Amino acid sequence: MARAAAATDLFTAIAEAPRREILDALVDGERPVGELVEVLRMAQPRVSKHLRVLNDVGLVTCRAEGRRRLYRLDHERLRPLHAWLEKYERAWNERLDRMDDYLMDLQQEERVR
Amino acid sequence: MKSTRHGSATVEFPSDREVLVTRQFDAPAELVFDVLTKPEHVSVWFAAKPLEVCEIDLRVGGDYHFEGFIMDDDVTTCSFRGTYLEIERPVRTVETWVFGGRPDDSAVETVELHDEDGVTTMTTLLAFKDQATRDAVIWTAPDGVHAADGQQGSYDRTEDLLASLA
Repeated sequence: MARAAAATDLFTAIAEAPRREILDALVDGERPVGELVEVLRMAQPRVSKHLRVLNDVGLVTCRAEGRRRLYRLDHERLRPLHAWLEKYERAWNERLDRMDDYLMDLQQEERVR
Repeated sequence: MKSTRHGSATVEFPSDREVLVTRQFDAPAELVFDVLTKPEHVSVWFAAKPLEVCEIDLRVGGDYHFEGFIMDDDVTTCSFRGTYLEIERPVRTVETWVFGGRPDDSAVETVELHDEDGVTTMTTLLAFKDQATRDAVIWTAPDGVHAADGQQGSYDRTEDLLASLA
């Protein structure tokens, strides 16, 4: 799939909902592929395909335990996303804080009158 | 006495082409609605400095146009334009939303106000025509700031994940 192949950075990697679901499922710890298939009710080839993309950008890491392949989330790799979200929220809040201050001033004037 | 702030905004990405911002204000919905839709109010708070242009024709089919210095640097100007599609005072407006004079990147903005005992929850939903458009806009919006320092891409609902990691 061209889209998956083009997922060269983590932002693109998590643009697709199934991949976010996989990350969510890994939040609490390492899981084998089989368990992800079960939890997400997704066909094994799809899960594997998405895991490969996540693995390529380093959001998940994989280790073998016998015949099982266990995947885990690399929390460190999520930091840039967290930083971005904070920045985006801050930008919104700058405006909304001004609106909030203005609303307070208006109401204070109202009370004084 | 100054009332207390009701927290900060939360940003969510309910679908691949939407952005949802939720924020509470310690004010009744009628007042919040006026502050959102009357030019004498909007021009004061919308940007870091009073807006240069602030026109609002508050009726279905009427246009709005805001323009001014969005940041304190006297350099970064910004414009928002659109046309009102629905108006239901004081609970809801729906309008087209064009940021930075790029009509191709337009969205439909739905602002809803929910007043509970004088505390108003405002939700602003921006629905873009597709994911690519949303992503192009949100990496520079809302204030023309490069939110990701030039990184391009997209993501969705990650804050749920991030919150659960905290």
